[in-house]
Amino acid sequence: MTQTNIKNKTFADLYSGTKDFLLPNIVRKKSTNLFDKIKLPNNKTENWRKFNSDSIFKHNYKLGKKLSVETKDLDSLSFFEPSGNYVILVNGFFHSGNVKNTDLNNNIFIGSLKDAQKTHSEIISGRLNTQNTETENYFSVLNDAYAKDGAFIYVPENVILDEPIYIMHFIQSDNGNIFSQNRNLIIAGKNTAFKIIHTYHSLSSDFSFNNSLTDIFADEKAQLEYYLFEGEGNTAAHVNNININSEKGSSFKSNIVTFCGSVVRNNIYAEFKNEFAEVNLQGIYMPDKEQTVDNFIEIKHAKPNCRSNQIFKGIIDNKAVAVFTGKVFVAKDAQKTDSAQSNQNLLLTDYARVHSRPQLEIYADDVVCSHGSTTGQLDNEALFYMKTRGIPEKRAKTMLMKAFLRDVTDKINVTGYREYVNFLISKRLKGQSPESLCSVKVCPSC
Amino acid sequence: MLKITDLKAEVDGKEILRGINLEVKPGEVHAIMGPNGSGKSTLASVLAGRDIFKVTGGKVEFKGKNLLNLIPEERSREGIFLAFQYPVEIPGVSITNFMRAAVDEHRKHKGFDPMNASQFLRYMKEKKALVELDAKLEGRAVNEGFSGGEKKKNEIFQMAMLEPDLAILDETDSGLDIDALKVVANGVNKLKTKENATIVITHYQRLLDYIVPDIIHVLYNGRIVKTGGRELALELEKYGYDEIKKEADKRF
Ligand SMILES: Nc1ncnc2c1ncn2[C@@H]1O[C@H](COP(=O)(O)OP(=O)(O)OP(=O)(O)O)[C@@H](O)[C@H]1O
Ligand SMILES: [Mg+2]
Repeated sequence: MTQTNIKNKTFADLYSGTKDFLLPNIVRKKSTNLFDKIKLPNNKTENWRKFNSDSIFKHNYKLGKKLSVETKDLDSLSFFEPSGNYVILVNGFFHSGNVKNTDLNNNIFIGSLKDAQKTHSEIISGRLNTQNTETENYFSVLNDAYAKDGAFIYVPENVILDEPIYIMHFIQSDNGNIFSQNRNLIIAGKNTAFKIIHTYHSLSSDFSFNNSLTDIFADEKAQLEYYLFEGEGNTAAHVNNININSEKGSSFKSNIVTFCGSVVRNNIYAEFKNEFAEVNLQGIYMPDKEQTVDNFIEIKHAKPNCRSNQIFKGIIDNKAVAVFTGKVFVAKDAQKTDSAQSNQNLLLTDYARVHSRPQLEIYADDVVCSHGSTTGQLDNEALFYMKTRGIPEKRAKTMLMKAFLRDVTDKINVTGYREYVNFLISKRLKGQSPESLCSVKVCPSC
Repeated sequence: MLKITDLKAEVDGKEILRGINLEVKPGEVHAIMGPNGSGKSTLASVLAGRDIFKVTGGKVEFKGKNLLNLIPEERSREGIFLAFQYPVEIPGVSITNFMRAAVDEHRKHKGFDPMNASQFLRYMKEKKALVELDAKLEGRAVNEGFSGGEKKKNEIFQMAMLEPDLAILDETDSGLDIDALKVVANGVNKLKTKENATIVITHYQRLLDYIVPDIIHVLYNGRIVKTGGRELALELEKYGYDEIKKEADKRF
């Protein structure tokens, strides 16, 4: 297959001659037409200024193929339970999946979105192409136009699951740099309660660029916990578009750990479609070397009586860059909105950079909206205090950094996964580089 | 045990210690008194190894070693303990984890293996009882949200855990009610042996009723300007520092 330089040509060339796209042609046509209007973001594009597109588009890519993963690669992902509910995807294609016997009669679906289009078309229709972001986003349009598969999770009304559902995505190259897209749809039916652990990894060290899009629906009174782990290697760029639709009385709690990746951009859009819903977004990131982690969050309080909360914490090492944009929009009649936002950063070197931008747009008058952003170094007073108790500098620093992240990591409500994350964080904070930790072969018991 | 000779130190180019001489022997309790801003906490910080203070002259020998060559964590492991005048809050680090790390490092230094979890908890319980520290505090972050008195008690608890050769207590009595003062003094006295030594920095004679010093020094303007026995504290209580200041201002 030919390799395409995206800067000179277009994604259309990359996909030319291929078929089996997910979205209906009529929608795709609309999307491809949009490319006349929106361009690949560069450092002058609003909302993308710090996005390091050059480092992505200087490489040539070919499309990632439907490849296989070996079970031994999964062994090291210690949080994963192979007898549990899961979907495994490779380069955006469905690889394998499992629904626990005990859950079969619940009519839950855990598998390929492409396949589900045949069996669950009624449920899926109307939820696949919501295009609801306030700001037109090149990468979500790109996903509309050319995505071919991804995970579909459907938990019907009143079903409560104790064990998490895993969605695990692997980038795998047979030879050369890979571009891949995945399109996921998660529907939490009315009165459901469950957890999802959604992880991204890479199995090869070639350059890769992964454009993901996940649409999430929290229907009336659904309680969804969504854990996202971004662990693609340090030659991997990842744009992750996540759209959350919150219905009446629903609760969506997410926790995003951005651990690896050369450039990671999270586009998170949450919209309250009805009252009394809650969206809670937490994230941690620990970029090193020349990594960039860019969290772009938009929350639309379209309806009254809803609550949103964002807490993002980062430890930025070497020459790494962290970007945080937190937009909160409160519509005129979205009274009694309660919205809080906090972004805290620790800089470990003089070269590390943070760009933190809260953006509040409030049109209602009876609201509580708070935001705060801090960027600083480790507390020298605390460090000295610890040293006077015999604790050496390195250990003291590690303890302080862990403590800094603790209020976010402690909220991970799945023990095995929390332990995995804490294990990686400990290694990282003890000075091990992300490169060596992003391999799927690193684990607490390996 | 500790021999300070003509110690001078400055911060931001401003000289604060202007030639301190002090010798502390095993088994002794010394008290350092003196007006606000005279350099008492600075002396304590310099002994603990705080790097914002630049030592510009003099020597400090501790158990035969050149103390000034050691980094703060080594000084601690060698047996120096500073109870802070203003203990630092460390959000997110529990007292248990904090003490675990400290005790581990002290044991490693002495060539002992780390204690296992149950040994450690037993050890902690024993020391908490000794200083009458409230059991509820151990799960909490170090000093975070502690009352003034709780912070001071927590310092003495840490001292009990680390069993130092030389403890420097910087105004551990300030902010304590009379009952807490007795508890703290009691803890310090229980930890006292013939081999270890204590320096108490205080403004009040009251503490010295409970922790009885062998020698009292008055620090003024970065120098020890007077040294005496217990009666010196009573004198200061009565007459204040005026006479001593005047005399010292004449001399230097
Ligand atoms: N970090 C610093 N930067 C600048 N000046 C300092 C610093 N620390 C102490 N000083 C100054 O050094 C002098 C001595 O301060 P120190 O805290 O040692 O006094 P002290 O005797 O402990 O007083 P107190 O009885 O009020 O506790 C004071 O003038 C103080 O302002
Ligand atoms: Mg002082």
